[in-house]
Amino acid sequence: MLKSHIATVLSCLALVAAFALNASAADHKVVAKGLDNPTGLAVQPGTGHVFIASHAGVLRLDPKSGKVTMEIGGYPDPTDVYGKGPKYPIGPLGLAFLDADHLVVGGGSRPDGSELVRVFKVGAEAKEQKETDAVNTLGPIKPSDDTIKGEGNFYGVAVIGGAIYITCNGDDTKGWVAKATLKDGKWGKLKLVIATKEATEVDAPGPIAASKSGKAVVVGQIGEVTVEGDSLVTIYSPRGKLLRKLTTSLNDIAGIAYSSSGKLYATDFSWVDASKGALYQLMLGKKEATEAKSKKILDLDKPTAIAFGEDGTAYIAVFGTVGDDGKPAGSVIAVSGL
Amino acid sequence: MIFSRRLLFRLLSVTMCALVAGSLLAVTVLADDPPPVPKGLPAVKWPADNPPTAAKISLGQQLYFDPRLSSDDTISCASCHDPAKGWSNGAAFAKGVGGAMGGRSAPTIINTAYFRQQFWDGRAKTLEDQALGPIQAGVEMNMKLEDLIPKLNKIDGYKKQFNEVFGSDATDKTIAKAIAAYERTVLSGNAPYDAYKAGNKKALSEVAERGRKVFFGKGHCSACHVGPSLTDNSYHNVGIGMDKKKPDVGRVAISKLEGDTGAFKTPGLRDVARSAPYMHNGSLKTLEDVVEHYAKGGIDNEYLDEELFKLRLTDQDKKDLIVFLKEGLASPDYPIHKAPKLPK
Repeated sequence: MLKSHIATVLSCLALVAAFALNASAADHKVVAKGLDNPTGLAVQPGTGHVFIASHAGVLRLDPKSGKVTMEIGGYPDPTDVYGKGPKYPIGPLGLAFLDADHLVVGGGSRPDGSELVRVFKVGAEAKEQKETDAVNTLGPIKPSDDTIKGEGNFYGVAVIGGAIYITCNGDDTKGWVAKATLKDGKWGKLKLVIATKEATEVDAPGPIAASKSGKAVVVGQIGEVTVEGDSLVTIYSPRGKLLRKLTTSLNDIAGIAYSSSGKLYATDFSWVDASKGALYQLMLGKKEATEAKSKKILDLDKPTAIAFGEDGTAYIAVFGTVGDDGKPAGSVIAVSGL
Repeated sequence: MIFSRRLLFRLLSVTMCALVAGSLLAVTVLADDPPPVPKGLPAVKWPADNPPTAAKISLGQQLYFDPRLSSDDTISCASCHDPAKGWSNGAAFAKGVGGAMGGRSAPTIINTAYFRQQFWDGRAKTLEDQALGPIQAGVEMNMKLEDLIPKLNKIDGYKKQFNEVFGSDATDKTIAKAIAAYERTVLSGNAPYDAYKAGNKKALSEVAERGRKVFFGKGHCSACHVGPSLTDNSYHNVGIGMDKKKPDVGRVAISKLEGDTGAFKTPGLRDVARSAPYMHNGSLKTLEDVVEHYAKGGIDNEYLDEELFKLRLTDQDKKDLIVFLKEGLASPDYPIHKAPKLPK
């Protein structure tokens, strides 16, 4: 009798605890700090080095030694500033590896219409190079009937089916995803292929990733930075057809990635209320579902990109909050067990 | 001792399970079918604690049109949000009790059911939060709740209805719920633009179709006016009023984010031709004035939204755009509600 009551109480407590799952569930540690507004992450195949796009340039982090070195510098200075208050100086934004030796960097330093996407050759060892040392440069996407101001702020980069996909934030009536393909060993022109805002009626494509199958394109639609809970997760076919559009509870989805076990994770920058910044697991449900369920994994202070290493470790870039000393407060956090 | 332990565990288990079950049952409130929604609009999300019933909506409509909700029995919600004037009031500012004037125009009620926040500066998150604000505002209805509640409960017709709908006399919460429920039914859709979106490519006139292209293209309107109600639910500084000595700071007073200085909520555009004058201070009298304002890139100031810049619109583009706004977004089922018979 007593046992049955204990069992009842425990099961009720377990139910309550399940609803209250929070930060304590994920094992995490800071692996780099003092970074200046880190926005993009990519883990180099083979070495496991983490490349970090920040206001200062692209950095290389060796997670084993904790050493951080400048890998790609020489970006325009002063660089672009995002926001009117709070204001965040930004530099290169999105990162993705084409292969172990080639890194794609989405630019964020220049005005719309003159922004560039560059491909760099990077080795297994740290070696600083300049932005102009790129082996390939794509863009700019100048003003046209399709993009009034021209394109810029290439926040998200993904390599899917051998093609480069970039989220753009120039023309806010279209919300373009641009794409470049390799033909006869040469990169073709950067083309505007998915008008995400027309497809979803929500602003600002941000993070981008390959789907679980590796074929489709997953885009996080940030929405308005002043509006709560308007971020979307969307899935497009490689040809740009909207396959799924799911609402989320996230305020400003800023990072998205699948773990090796096939779980989808996303970060919420939460511009409108930084205390709500966090890492979430997103459950998209069945094909017909229109709302993604989310489970908070970790509270974070203005997180941006997320990328998984080959060993399953998740790396998350975090802006942090600059203190009275004015020193950069950004960091990269490693999360295991996802 | 054993008895008391048993009792303790029984109490604990019953309490825990009741808490869980209670939270699930709390949302199971009886409701009528939600009122139908015009074509082109999504289903209205009714709050779990304020589901729709015909009786509640009817009560809300009576309260909305009843000037007895003001301190001198002269001003109702409908005085400033008049169905005949686009659910606004046709003037730059609204006149309250004793001729008092506010500093902002009366925003339309149309499709506020879908808005994520209410008022020009978004200070209310829901229609329930919003409903009591104008009643109590000194420059609007100037009515204290402690006076309003007994006043309504002395009116037999209201007392009876509140008890039927909410199971109690009128309270501040039930007054807000009834008015909000009614406001959620003020919807405009089924416009030529909706038919066009649904696949009827002849639904818009030739000129309106050209205007639609301008709206979603080089007119740059859809950078902010997007979605079923043509609003992004966000706040933008478009320069209006920023050339005054003491500009209205708008959203920043609520959000405390510097970038929101001089920013106001993007209004919806359904049946926009009916709700002149325009902007948060009613300073632009016609849609033509509005288009000219945006074509020149707004009024420059430190916090001007990045979506405002000089547009390359021809005179024909502007004319076409205005035709789209006037024809394309006008509903044949415009909610021209009449004042109901008020209880005594």
